[in-house]
Amino acid sequence: MIRELALVDVYYLVLAIRWTIGLTVLALLGGGTIGLLIAALGASRFRALRGLAFGYVGTVQGIPLLGWLFIFYFGLSIVGYNLPPLAAATIGFSIYAGAFLGEIWRGALVAIPKTQWEAGVAIGLTYLEQLRHVIIPQAVRIAIPPTVGFMVQLIKNTSLGAVIGFVELTREGQLTTASTFQPFSVYLLVALMYFSLCYPLTRYSRILERKRRALR
Amino acid sequence: MAYTFQFRDVFAQKEAIADGIGVTLQLSAVTICLGFLLGIAVAVSLVYGRSWMRGMARVYVEVIRNTPLIVQLFLIFFGLPGVGIKLDVLPASMLALTINLGAYTAEIVRAGIESVPKSQIEAGVSLGMTKPQIFRHVVLMPALKNVYPSLSSQFVLMMLATSVVSQISAADLFHAGSIIQSRTFRDFEVYTVISLLYLCLTLLMRGGFGLCYHLIFRRR
Amino acid sequence: MPFVELKSVVKRYGDNTVLQDVNLSIEKGEIIAVIGRSGSGKSTMLRCINGLEPVQAGEVWVDGVAVHDANANLRELRARVGIVFQSFNLFPHLTVERNITLGPMIVKGVPAAEAAALARAALRKVGLEEKIGAYADELSGGQQQRVAIARSLAMAPSLMLFDEITSALDPELVGEVLLVLEEMAREGMTMLLVTHEMNFARRVAHRVVFMHQGKVWEQATAKEFFADPKTPELRSFLSAVLH
Repeated sequence: MIRELALVDVYYLVLAIRWTIGLTVLALLGGGTIGLLIAALGASRFRALRGLAFGYVGTVQGIPLLGWLFIFYFGLSIVGYNLPPLAAATIGFSIYAGAFLGEIWRGALVAIPKTQWEAGVAIGLTYLEQLRHVIIPQAVRIAIPPTVGFMVQLIKNTSLGAVIGFVELTREGQLTTASTFQPFSVYLLVALMYFSLCYPLTRYSRILERKRRALR
Repeated sequence: MAYTFQFRDVFAQKEAIADGIGVTLQLSAVTICLGFLLGIAVAVSLVYGRSWMRGMARVYVEVIRNTPLIVQLFLIFFGLPGVGIKLDVLPASMLALTINLGAYTAEIVRAGIESVPKSQIEAGVSLGMTKPQIFRHVVLMPALKNVYPSLSSQFVLMMLATSVVSQISAADLFHAGSIIQSRTFRDFEVYTVISLLYLCLTLLMRGGFGLCYHLIFRRR
Repeated sequence: MPFVELKSVVKRYGDNTVLQDVNLSIEKGEIIAVIGRSGSGKSTMLRCINGLEPVQAGEVWVDGVAVHDANANLRELRARVGIVFQSFNLFPHLTVERNITLGPMIVKGVPAAEAAALARAALRKVGLEEKIGAYADELSGGQQQRVAIARSLAMAPSLMLFDEITSALDPELVGEVLLVLEEMAREGMTMLLVTHEMNFARRVAHRVVFMHQGKVWEQATAKEFFADPKTPELRSFLSAVLH
């Protein structure tokens, strides 16, 4: 039964945004944890550890996100877990985000000139104290603009959750199209909603980038 | 629950895989060529265009970069017929991918153009060169050389992103997965193999772009 | 009629008035050295002559062309006015030969073979013929600057502008560049040099101009300029730089 595109459809689309944001947050938490580990490994003095980080990032970035989603979606059911698509999506996105965030944060860490480390040693700080008081605060400042930029990527990437059945904004769009047969209007609305989520973040990341450059 | 991995069944479907790789490579090649040219044109508008041109280019770039590729694809394939434009699967895929890549390329090339020192441009102006001449002979190659790493990374990302066309049933490598899956019922193995194949493509492309850099930009 | 004439030129960057009221005329074949403190406006004045900097008031005439006119098409003039910059500004992605043939080929439409001959002749003039296939980063500062001069010479200019061309060079490389300039002067080129090289100015220039606070403060023949400075500002400047 085909029905007209009505305000209630718009309402359900807007509600679906909750899941888009939710999945993004989960991916940030999971990916952030992995990313910290990868960044630490990637910036380490030991070549073996750096190699591990490099291997992880290279492998994850060399496979399409859809691939990771499907691997975990089917892989999880093999291992006996019958979890909702949200679980597969969260794990897949976390693995994916972990690689990208790890690269960004590793880049921020190695951007701190050696002289900063030396200054820390000169005033008698231990390695961990150096990290905590000298290195990480500066690295965080460098890392914020590209991290915010990556959050925009994540929000867009959650649209692929639809493919494994997770009902976020894009999936809701597919469902709405199926019942109203108005793909043009529906997907235009969906695009508009993504835009309203992403564009402010994009602008913000640019402002941050400009502020950071001005401080130099 | 015991489960034995059966990769052999997947490997038996060599033909489907090969066909899929062919389509993925073709789509990627066309998209990269057209998207690159489109990106340069848009970048030129962003840097040198009159205000209305700059405005239009900026709108294009922001809209594409702040909406997901899959939604753009659905809009073109499912949505356009509603306003009278009916495209086949592959043309729709190429259109969506090209438009998408063009926007990302434009931003990268724009940064490259702006990274060319003003003194270089002054030298060109002082010789009596016109703006198009300066762009072609003084700005373009140094700009592309400066952003080559970003550019080639973006192209590799696009090759991976082509997997999204499987969702409108384009017969690419990822879609081959669903074909093999329906024949062998080995979901996990299928997508593991396909993912590893994408990884191989990535490594090949990265190597290829590295080689290109040496061919184009290294001194003869 | 003078070849170059600046009349009451005013140039501002925002609130900062760099050129207050510049008046200067240069005859064909003259060699003018311009000296002064940093910020006196000497480089800016030079850059106004080939239109790299627009002027807010006054007139700039070069070989009959109204450079100050916002609507003027300066392309044709610029092909006749060579300028050499402090930072050489060679094109790093092109060989020395291509750097030099680019202008003649695409601005003046000179065919490739003729342009190559022009390049060789220009390089011979500056003593760098053997470097014709090299890239800029393979050359020393002095060599790069000489290539920059050759690049301008290949356009067969009627006027050469030099913007502190030896200031960025290591001292031992300055001599080779000044030699080239002396040769050009001997051959009768009209030259305007913003420079710190006082000895060179005294020896080679016909007239020396002292710029101060955005004006032409004092000018005289080279001999008189250094032997008998009239204004106290010039006297204190000369005692500071000549020691």
